[in-house]
Amino acid sequence: MDKIAKQLKDDAARIDVQISDELDRRISASLQGVTPEIPETDKATQRPVTFWWASSLTGVAAALIIVAMINSQSQIETVPALAPEVSPVTVATIPTIDWKAESAMLTRPLQQELEDLQEDLKKAEEKVKREIGL
Amino acid sequence: MTDELQLIDAAKAGSVSAFADLVKSYRVRLLRFLLTRCTSYADAEDAVQDTLIAAYRYLHSYDPRWRFSTWLYRIAIRKAQKLRSENVVEIGDLSDEEGDPLLHCIAASDTANLWVSARRVLNDDVFAATWLRYAEDMSINDISKALDRSDSWTKVNLLRARKALETEMNGENNGSKVYG
Repeated sequence: MDKIAKQLKDDAARIDVQISDELDRRISASLQGVTPEIPETDKATQRPVTFWWASSLTGVAAALIIVAMINSQSQIETVPALAPEVSPVTVATIPTIDWKAESAMLTRPLQQELEDLQEDLKKAEEKVKREIGL
Repeated sequence: MTDELQLIDAAKAGSVSAFADLVKSYRVRLLRFLLTRCTSYADAEDAVQDTLIAAYRYLHSYDPRWRFSTWLYRIAIRKAQKLRSENVVEIGDLSDEEGDPLLHCIAASDTANLWVSARRVLNDDVFAATWLRYAEDMSINDISKALDRSDSWTKVNLLRARKALETEMNGENNGSKVYG
């Protein structure tokens, strides 16, 4: 124990007090008149059994009344058929395409034109075959 | 089971004599402590009486994991705080031996009692912590419980209180600043 701790301990012991007879009597008399507080859990166990029954029956009766009231007031609710929702479709404006194409100038009847085209195609095929050596 | 626990159980069951035996050794210690906290000897006696009555009344709430002395001091500290809050006279105003009950209980030759200085330079909680540590040999943990403070608070303030008291012992303190 260091110096200061020792001095504090010694100095505390040097404070001269004593419990007087009068204080002793007062304390004893006060304690006789005091009733220790009973913990809450003990208080709960000291309730009569009828208290438990009465509270249980009250709770059950209240629940039955509520159920009866709900049943008497309930109605079958018809759910209206929902109309199919038609959402307005926004049609995008189709832009006009400027083809800039020239229409074929048909100078002869179509059958004649077709034959000329087929003949051109045949010539082109022969030309390709020649070039690749077939 | 220790004697103290047996007495506590008997007191809980309603035995006043068991409670009286239980607190017999604490009464003088409580009075000594409360004398440093009150402005008159009569107030200190009243505080002891109130503490013991409250302890008996609420003994069911005592947790055996605590030391009984810790629990008892916790009640005593609260009683002292309550008394002082109701009292108009502050301890700092008691300057003469006739008015100060602590000086009255210290022998005339023992004027350098360090607790007189401690009461002047430490605030209430720090003083109580210092008392519980050095006069009652309580652990840091028990002091923290008694004061409802953290262990860190207790450690730091005990250290600072020691420094303040060392300054007082060495006569270096020429001001009247209260620590805490």
